[in-house]
Amino acid sequence: MAANTVEGPVAHHFNNMGQQLATVRFGMWLFLVTEVLFFGGAFCAYTAYRVWYPRDFEAGSAALNVGIASVNTFLLLTSSLTITLAIRSAYVGNRNGLMRNLLFTIALATAFLGLKAREYQIDYEEGLMPGSYTTMKPEAAKRDAELRDALQPLVPMLDAAVSEQEAIAFVPGKYPRVVRDPLAFYKFERLEHLFQKVSGRLNHAPDGFNENVVLALEEVHYKGERTDRIAPSEVAAEVDAIRALKVIPSKAELEAEAKKKHDKGEFNPSRVQLFFMFYYSMTGLHVLHMIVGLGLLTWQLIFARMGFFDHKSRYVYIEVMSLYWHFVDMAWMFLLPLLYLCGPHTSGQAVEQFQMAIGLTHSGH
Amino acid sequence: MADILLEPARLDYTPQMLPEPEVSFAAHPEHKHYLNHEYGLLSWLLTVDHKRIGLMYLVSVSIFFMFGGIAAGLVRTNLITPTGAILELDQYNKAFTAHGTIMLFLFLIPVIPGVLGNFLVPMMIGAKDMAFPKLNLASYYVWVSGALFFVWQLMVGGLDTGWTLYPPYSSKYSHTNVLYAGLGIFITGFSSILTALNIIATVHKMRCPGMTWGRLPLFVWAMYATSVIQLLGTPVLAVTVVMLAVERLAGVGIFDPNLGGDPILFQHMFWFYSHPAVYIMILPGMGVINEVLTCFARKNIFGYKAVAWSSVGIAVVGFLVWGHHMFLAGQGYYLAMVFALLTMLVAVPSAIKVFNWTATLYGGSITFQAPMLFALGFIILFTIGGVTGLFLGTLGTDIHLHDTYFVIAHFHYTMVGGMMFAWQAGLHFWWPKMTGKMYSDFWSRLAAIVMLVGFALTFLPQFAVGYLGMPRRYPNYPPEFQIYNVLSTAAAYVQGIGYIMPIFYLGASLFFGKSAGNNPFKATGLEWQTSSPPSPHNFESTPEVYFGPYEYAVADGLKIVPLNDGKVRDIKHEDPDLVSSHEPAKEATHGS
Repeated sequence: MAANTVEGPVAHHFNNMGQQLATVRFGMWLFLVTEVLFFGGAFCAYTAYRVWYPRDFEAGSAALNVGIASVNTFLLLTSSLTITLAIRSAYVGNRNGLMRNLLFTIALATAFLGLKAREYQIDYEEGLMPGSYTTMKPEAAKRDAELRDALQPLVPMLDAAVSEQEAIAFVPGKYPRVVRDPLAFYKFERLEHLFQKVSGRLNHAPDGFNENVVLALEEVHYKGERTDRIAPSEVAAEVDAIRALKVIPSKAELEAEAKKKHDKGEFNPSRVQLFFMFYYSMTGLHVLHMIVGLGLLTWQLIFARMGFFDHKSRYVYIEVMSLYWHFVDMAWMFLLPLLYLCGPHTSGQAVEQFQMAIGLTHSGH
Repeated sequence: MADILLEPARLDYTPQMLPEPEVSFAAHPEHKHYLNHEYGLLSWLLTVDHKRIGLMYLVSVSIFFMFGGIAAGLVRTNLITPTGAILELDQYNKAFTAHGTIMLFLFLIPVIPGVLGNFLVPMMIGAKDMAFPKLNLASYYVWVSGALFFVWQLMVGGLDTGWTLYPPYSSKYSHTNVLYAGLGIFITGFSSILTALNIIATVHKMRCPGMTWGRLPLFVWAMYATSVIQLLGTPVLAVTVVMLAVERLAGVGIFDPNLGGDPILFQHMFWFYSHPAVYIMILPGMGVINEVLTCFARKNIFGYKAVAWSSVGIAVVGFLVWGHHMFLAGQGYYLAMVFALLTMLVAVPSAIKVFNWTATLYGGSITFQAPMLFALGFIILFTIGGVTGLFLGTLGTDIHLHDTYFVIAHFHYTMVGGMMFAWQAGLHFWWPKMTGKMYSDFWSRLAAIVMLVGFALTFLPQFAVGYLGMPRRYPNYPPEFQIYNVLSTAAAYVQGIGYIMPIFYLGASLFFGKSAGNNPFKATGLEWQTSSPPSPHNFESTPEVYFGPYEYAVADGLKIVPLNDGKVRDIKHEDPDLVSSHEPAKEATHGS
């Protein structure tokens, strides 16, 4: 590399310019290693859930705005070009060219962030939000109220079951020992599960959650009736069933029941919310990196204007900045297919034909 | 391996007696060093000098060690009686959580990289400073701001999830300050990454002429391996904590099975960092032991390459064993078997180190000054800790011992018996270099013995009580276990006295200590070849290195037989005639 021949001011702790340039570059590569692992952790968790819940993730993805994402991809890739041109300008000592190219990069990045902000806004308006902040539609609120009523008899039953458990399990002043009536314990667990299921629906996934997702799912994958909804009557029936239990069901019976549910292709909005959790946190981290990069670019623009980069050796700072910028670019190149393109964006029939053509069957989780 | 066997002349292990330390009462008022070349608070707070930053870490880390120690004292005191002596149940949870989080994130992880790594790595490789001095200062302040979140979290009511922060407890049920603690973990982790990055870049790019990889002191090798782990592991913990925070804030079920999530995923991601993190804690300690043992045994290290590469081996294999924390957490049987096998594998490089240390001691001319006492304590305690680790890494025995006090005793033997003793060894070894003052020989030896006795008696009973079935993290226990707990608590107080002692005699040495001289222990490392305390740029001129790091086998200043290039050189004035006269007889090795 020509770095060893470049003249310029050497920082106090380096012996020569070659060492300084090599160190600066090496440091940025090390930082990028850390960044890869940082995004890697999120990608890893994403992969796990994507494998478990392919249909829910595809449904979530189908609801995202691919148009804006495509434009953004174009903007970001172009900004990678302009920052590379900026290195060249700095290397040959062209201050105006450097400033121009940095400005282009800043402009493209700003446009990206602006569009991204607009996209988040659209998502919000469509109700594509994770967690309990979903906009409630009136009919959903009504059904929630009914479910809450259905829960009422469950609460004292659970309380009684809990205190019974504790009374058996914890004898005051003695070492806690596990002496449980297995049938009581089994009933308690099933009641608790039901309670959590219903209250989970209330808190986390009201029906108002994103009509688009529901439509996409029903259109693409579920020709029949959705089965995730718990009617108040179902809750009551389950409570009665638990009360009537005289023996613990055998493992085979439980498995047969689980298989029946599995075959019905139960769809769970909270799993789609998992997708949106990943969507917001991963694009959010990416946006955060872009904002940091934008700050650094602006800083470099100001320094370029002051003539800091007129020492040709300092082109290396532009170069390491471009390394970081390319990394941000790369991260987006992974996010785009994983988040936006993983779901079907055509009509359900076409997708089905495509899947049959390549021999894919949807057996679900 | 082959050339070691065939070239016995290059491994001269003739022990040399340790000369008396040259201590003088004469002050050198004209000597400008890093402590007195500028004054004032700002000259410390804004310094980019790696030595001053190291000392700032020393002060901060010691304060947090004290906090963590107080929490440990509360826990142990509470366990004196079977129903809890002083704390309410929730207070007990908060006390052991405070002990765990502070000791891990604010003491064990930053202590040796922050203090000794900062102070010594540039000097040991003959550099003027770290590769990125400003980043180094920034990483200190990042660490402090992360630590302040922990302090804040303690002040507003504490945390009760245990340091492992397992969901669903940390995500749904705990009403304590999980978010502040998570933020603290995230930020201190960032600092740890920046320090690691700095150290790796320094080792790669800042070595002085002649400082080849084969001549790096083993402390630098260990710091290098540690930094690689920090660089690769910490970001994963950071993103895990981010996901936990999102779950807690937004109510999404990423780790909640009711909403489609999986709590085991958190454990996988947490231990992907946190198991390598125990090597972040122990590897720098192992590096310190290499330096101290060779100096006080007056011998070259036995098997330099083996020790150096075993550090790297630990760093690599350490990333493949995290699942042994989750044998009973519901991961697959076959996965657990694979993790158990890999866990056995990680014992190999650790054992290589221990065997090499004992081989280094063999036939050495040993003197038992305080650093050496700590180092010997390290070897004994770490061996016990390591061997009991094998009990836990084996699937069958782990089912019995999982989450009992046996686990507590095991990791305290490695983390406290290992790391804490190595830290004390390093602190006592390089204290004269840092401050230019020599501490009291008698008190330092006494402190080493008090710590060793106190430590052993604290945790040996815990092996027994854990084997008998006392679970960890429980405030109450059956009365028949009381004798073990009382013994353990009493010894913990002794241990506490041991930890307080250095504050007094090291502090006293600053004001009343004799001037230590540049090289009181007659060690061979580059850091000892400069003045004590070192000048602001470490060396008067860039040093050149002609020999390996542990050439104790020859008297100072005489002919040096370098280990690595087979050339004979004179340390003071190079003699060109001798340079090529000792070429190893490679021809003789052919055909055999």
